[in-house]
Amino acid sequence: MARIRCENLTKRYGSVTAVDRLNLEVRDNEFMVLLGPSGCGKTTTLNIIAGLEELTEGDLLFDDTLVNFVPPHRRDIAMVFQSYALYPQKTVYENIAFGLRLRRMPRQEIDRLVQEVAADLKIAHLLDRRPHQLSGGQRQRVALGRAIVRKPSVFLMDEPLSNLDAALRITMRTLIKKLHQTMRTTFVYVTHDQAEAMTLADRIVVMHHGVLQQLGTPDDIYNRPCNMFVASFLGSPQMNFVEGALERNGSGYVFRRADLTLSVNGLADNLASAHLGRPVVLGLRPEDVDLRQTDGARETVACHVGLVLPLGSEQHISAVVGGEEMIFKIDKDVEVGVGEQILFGVDPSRIHLFDADSGLSLHASGRA
Amino acid sequence: MTSSIARPASRFRLSYDSGSAIFLVAPAVLVLGLVAVYPIGYSFYNSLFDLNLARPHRVPFVWFDNYAKLFHDPQFWIAVRRTTVYTLVTVIGTALLALGVALFLNEAFRGRRILAALLLVPWATPSIVNGLMWKWIYDPTYGLLNGLLLTLGIIEKYQVWLGDPNLTIFLIAQAAIWKQMPLAAILLLVTMKSIPDDLYRAAKVDGATVLQRFWHITLPALKPGFMLVFVYETMISIRHFDLFAIMTQGGPGDASFTISWQIYIESFRSLKFGMGSALSFVLALATLILSYLFIRLLSRKL
Amino acid sequence: MTTASQTRSNIERHVAVRRKPLLPAVGRRALLLSLSVLFLAYVIGPVYWVFVSSIQSEADLVSVPPNWVPDDVTLQNFHAIFFYDAKEVTYESRRIGDPATGDFIPTAAQNLLPALYNSVYVGVWVAILNVLLSLTAAYAIARIRFRGRRPTLYLILVTRAIPDIALVVPLFLVMRNFLDIVNTRESLIITYLAVTVPFTVFILINYFESIPADLGKAARVDGCSHLQVLRHVYLPVGMPAVVASLLFAFLTSWNEFVLALMLTSTIAAQTLPIVISGFVFDFTTSFSLVNAAGVVAIVPPVVLAILFERYIVSGLTAGAVKG
Repeated sequence: MARIRCENLTKRYGSVTAVDRLNLEVRDNEFMVLLGPSGCGKTTTLNIIAGLEELTEGDLLFDDTLVNFVPPHRRDIAMVFQSYALYPQKTVYENIAFGLRLRRMPRQEIDRLVQEVAADLKIAHLLDRRPHQLSGGQRQRVALGRAIVRKPSVFLMDEPLSNLDAALRITMRTLIKKLHQTMRTTFVYVTHDQAEAMTLADRIVVMHHGVLQQLGTPDDIYNRPCNMFVASFLGSPQMNFVEGALERNGSGYVFRRADLTLSVNGLADNLASAHLGRPVVLGLRPEDVDLRQTDGARETVACHVGLVLPLGSEQHISAVVGGEEMIFKIDKDVEVGVGEQILFGVDPSRIHLFDADSGLSLHASGRA
Repeated sequence: MTSSIARPASRFRLSYDSGSAIFLVAPAVLVLGLVAVYPIGYSFYNSLFDLNLARPHRVPFVWFDNYAKLFHDPQFWIAVRRTTVYTLVTVIGTALLALGVALFLNEAFRGRRILAALLLVPWATPSIVNGLMWKWIYDPTYGLLNGLLLTLGIIEKYQVWLGDPNLTIFLIAQAAIWKQMPLAAILLLVTMKSIPDDLYRAAKVDGATVLQRFWHITLPALKPGFMLVFVYETMISIRHFDLFAIMTQGGPGDASFTISWQIYIESFRSLKFGMGSALSFVLALATLILSYLFIRLLSRKL
Repeated sequence: MTTASQTRSNIERHVAVRRKPLLPAVGRRALLLSLSVLFLAYVIGPVYWVFVSSIQSEADLVSVPPNWVPDDVTLQNFHAIFFYDAKEVTYESRRIGDPATGDFIPTAAQNLLPALYNSVYVGVWVAILNVLLSLTAAYAIARIRFRGRRPTLYLILVTRAIPDIALVVPLFLVMRNFLDIVNTRESLIITYLAVTVPFTVFILINYFESIPADLGKAARVDGCSHLQVLRHVYLPVGMPAVVASLLFAFLTSWNEFVLALMLTSTIAAQTLPIVISGFVFDFTTSFSLVNAAGVVAIVPPVVLAILFERYIVSGLTAGAVKG
């Protein structure tokens, strides 16, 4: 277990800035996920934490010790790669034991630990095989075993599940979550899959173009995104966006766009008043609508159903709201026909409002 | 959020990576420094003097006079012609033959593995043996070539092959091609094998003939291989010395008088080491320019 | 008279046999066979001829037209090389031992065996030292992003642009003044390192770059220093390129003529190419002996090349494939 602190961490390759003044603290035993699209700087950050790449500016600290110049083999870390990176000419046993051998542990001790880890990961029967004889899932377990067996202070994972098929991915996700609970070690996990991030993380860092967008718990990030990018990146199907104007309505505010009028609450006063008359973007998650509850406490929206897409466990309907095509999730049992005029209720606290130019949230609690 | 932690005093501390790199590269660089860089430098230094070991005490400094003299030396231009012809023939011959061999070995048939293994025999043959082997084959009195052609009725009497100034360069080039073709063929063959089958299948469906498939798929895909072949072959053919030393010693007349041979003559027969060094640098410059041109030419088309 | 159905089936029978392959199977076989014969004749033929020439007596050899398959095989040339028997050279023996009829073994023949030993000695040492130097340099250049990486590589490669002849005198001076090892095998070993290291570094860098970078990263995280990564990951996984480098270094030094000629003056350090070239220019040497010397020089490298062919190919071309 170790605390990791990044202070103004910057990495430049020539004229390209891959990571731009990142300030981050990973708490002891925390499962931190670095989330973002490819090229956002998350893998570079991970490599810097590992020591595989050197930072250009800023500082990196493990437990208040500066580690900028410490090479990876002296940082007490372990890493799992997307490509597994198993040593091809070594057996599974030797792959797992390698790190311990380098540290000159006595042979019996190594053997005990390797057998223990292999049993935990259910790969004990594979110890004599070579990597090319294993399936993807088995290889990933060996990679995990190799990392676990050293009982490191920090556990780093670079998109370890991206090469696995969907079913395997879900199994491994659970495995990794359990690992974190039993190992009580700091985990830093990189992924572009928002579902993975949501299920695994204690806290998530969303990155884009090398810049930290938002740092918070999955709940924070999902329900109180601080800008449009974060709002759009999390949630599947994506949040619906429509541009319009912000107007005053008595003591509150109202979003207006063509025939769509919705009252919004939770806005920061200074931001709201500054944005009166300026273009704003409304965000509405597909699941935040209710076909059945249209009582007075909620706002109502009327629209025509364009398409109905049944998924078995739920239905997605496409409808035009305020001139924009939106997708909504509804129960699988509700019967809706194409062309139907429907009315659904929206909880005002579930409506997100963003500045159209900067993308920043106008809500009071929206910042990281 | 500034933190009060111990910082290393020097801002220019050598990172672990850079430090390791220096240690790892140092041995090779040091050895090369001693036996390659220093001699090259010294050789260049020599080229700026009118250095003649026949009169070792008078060594006037002449700046680039040696180089200037070269360009007015008709012998030099003959050597340039010979070298150009030789290099062109060798490189193009090697490339074409290698292509043919690669296409041949790309087919699947029984015994292919054995043939591919035997392909390396010419490459492994020492150049001196290569020279004496072909010299023996070309021998005017007892040679195999004469015997073979006579038996086949192609010639009426024994020829002095290497003595024919029109043929000399080509015969020597043939020996060079024989030895260098295997490496080029292997390079091309491996590149060929990496061409995805789907391209050929799609072309067949589109109705392309064997020749069209070759021209539009195989050849373009081989560009990087050809580039490597051309650059490497040029670099070594332009400097060939061993074959000339064994087979014709620059003759007959100046039929095989290449720049390499001129360097030898100037340095070790006329003892004009300054001139010899200047010649060497001209050759080196030509090699570098040609390699650079090839790389640019072929990588642009990619 | 054929019925309608019979006509239809006749048509079907003919029409069904449609689209013959470009080369029917038999034709392809014949073409490949003839190409194979041509290939063998070209690639092996000349070497075969050298071999055959070496086991004939001089009298047989100089017959016109030449014998493809010798009637009489004699090993006298090899006997002379390996079991040299200093014959006293008198006026009589010289007159009898006419080069055209054989039996005259020049005294230089006794140098073949020592030269062979020198070539092997130098070749092996060059191969070993070369790989030691090149491995570390290639790993650093291929995998460590350090300042001056490109210039170092270019510097190493560009040293080969200069023709060897130009280096002879400076090298001689280095050997004599700095190291005091003129006319020794060691001087050749060091010289050949300069000649071979650039190419092997190139081969190794190419191959290393095709090894997934994650492997090295995993090793570093596991606790390896750079040197250990080289030893535990790049050396085993890069073995084909290492073998190719060893072979190339050995073959190049076995091959090398000009520098050896200039840097050595006695048989203490002279290598095979020098002794053999001496034969070629000595008109008293019988052709069959020269060819026998040639065989001695050909056999080791060819055997090595054929044995390790697979390694050579994969080692040399890992990078070329990616372009």
